[in-house]
Amino acid sequence: MRSPKFALATPAWAWLVAFFIIPVGMVIYFSFGYKPGIFGTHATDVLSFDRYVEAFSPVFFATFMNTLWVGVLGTVLCLVIGAPVAYWMAVKAPPNRRGLLLALVMVPFWTNFLVRTIGWQILLAPEGLLGGLDLLYTRGGVLLGVVYNYLPLMILPLFVAFDRVGEPMREAAKDLGAGRIRTFLSVTVPLARPGIIAGVLLVFIPLMGDYITATVLGGAQGNMVGQLVASQFQTAQNWALGSAMAVLLILVIMVTVAIAGLIVWLVTMPSRMRSRLVIGDAEANAPSTRSTPTAATVTERS
Amino acid sequence: MTALNERPAVRQADASGGSAPEIRPARKSASDIALTVWSVLVFGFLFVPIIVIIVYSFNTGRLLVSWDGFGIDAFLTIFQKPAIQNAVMVSIQSGIIAATIATTLGTLAGIAMASRPGKWVGWFLVLLLLVSVTPEIVDAVALLPWLVTLGQDFGLTLFNNGIARLVVGHTLFATAVVSYIVRARLAGLDAQLQEASADLYAPPLKTFFKVTLPLAMPAVLAGFLLSFTLSLDNTIVSAFVQVSGATPWPVYVLSAVRTGLRPEIAAVSTLMLLLTLVALAFVAYVLRRAGDSATQIARTMTGN
Repeated sequence: MRSPKFALATPAWAWLVAFFIIPVGMVIYFSFGYKPGIFGTHATDVLSFDRYVEAFSPVFFATFMNTLWVGVLGTVLCLVIGAPVAYWMAVKAPPNRRGLLLALVMVPFWTNFLVRTIGWQILLAPEGLLGGLDLLYTRGGVLLGVVYNYLPLMILPLFVAFDRVGEPMREAAKDLGAGRIRTFLSVTVPLARPGIIAGVLLVFIPLMGDYITATVLGGAQGNMVGQLVASQFQTAQNWALGSAMAVLLILVIMVTVAIAGLIVWLVTMPSRMRSRLVIGDAEANAPSTRSTPTAATVTERS
Repeated sequence: MTALNERPAVRQADASGGSAPEIRPARKSASDIALTVWSVLVFGFLFVPIIVIIVYSFNTGRLLVSWDGFGIDAFLTIFQKPAIQNAVMVSIQSGIIAATIATTLGTLAGIAMASRPGKWVGWFLVLLLLVSVTPEIVDAVALLPWLVTLGQDFGLTLFNNGIARLVVGHTLFATAVVSYIVRARLAGLDAQLQEASADLYAPPLKTFFKVTLPLAMPAVLAGFLLSFTLSLDNTIVSAFVQVSGATPWPVYVLSAVRTGLRPEIAAVSTLMLLLTLVALAFVAYVLRRAGDSATQIARTMTGN
């Protein structure tokens, strides 16, 4: 009588398999092939890793490094610039203004990002208001553009995370004798961790694939892997090489995320050894229910 | 949007467990002042290029970048350029269809994940995660040959249609996002209410339409709007899968970046910004009517 549990999810599953899993699987398959002659785009009768070797040639390697530089630095800058704003909105701003502030963060988020980037181009152009900065068509200009474009994606999840920590938690920490900095570092930040991770991933992954911002603001200096992949498909007609670059881009993203995770884990190791903070069921709380964690146990190891 | 402001304060006081009104510190510390100043600066930063675009949509010069004089010429030029009108129409059409498909698929999947938990949810989340972490350019290069294969080799002529291709490209990420949002909205509270409904002898279909769907409604609405704007914004996938004659607005702008930007582009953007603001205000109003606080609206919108 009862339908299988996943029945309602079947349409979405079928859609994503048909238009995501199969085509991306094909790209992975193409990446082991080669380009046959001038007119063919790809052939897969002989499979090899040659395209990957080709994709890591010095010319392309420089572009990979440039993309990684913009991606990592852009994400770090978004975090450094956005975190204080999110904290201010969630903790310091008057509660009855929060709705308005959130709406303000969202307005640029909902404006076409290409058009916003053109806004910067107008400002940075030699005759523009900020023309004196000489940022247009430099890596600095690209960095400015990506930080601008992805900042709202960092602020929103951070705001939600800081807000979820809640006033009572911070009060409790202060009542137990923790100073402002200690409260922030050992109560607010650990509890907001899921939001921080979400924000970093939300910014870093699309940023690594983005080449539009770099095209508008970077000119010849704005070489990104995305651009390289696109040109292999659109102009060079070498699908095998383009596919290998696409797969490498995904691998670079995964490896970078893994390394960043490892670094954070190692850096926070000493503080985790020293004091362990066990918060009732804060993590298990359903996100949509607005309950504040009630039970908090602070275990200190001497 | 100012309509968003009142209820959260009350909730906040309730949440802190006492009836005492919030106590404002008598004087602000230096770090608080620094935080406030920084935040105001960042908000300014977020709005700078948007203000520039709005101002430059009144530029009467031939090129967008060089200011000539103030006038509404650019807005009038829109009416003489069918290519621009066509591009905006293509974007709106594909946006509405893509948002409808993504919202339907995502809502059903989100409800299934929240109300029928099991091992399958983990696998399904892996699929959604894969979809959402794949950079757009990879979707783009993967979809183009696949759509050509479907349309020409398999004879499914629907996939030769420009709008259909854009819709397929725009629904992938959006479906994942709607699924997350709806699941987050329903997590925890759904099962009991559904059981209650079943105990009261409501047939499954009635429970779905009278209990589950209304509960999910704010998330569904937010998901629809998010999918729609994601579609309007989509440049990379669109540039790849588009068919000539059905060029969407962002791709039109991108080609203008290469050939020379005219003030009309800014004028259309200003009009579209106005439209988006109206739509946003409407959704915020509906969400507020449904009793959500500002924070919950943000949570719903970001899928947290």
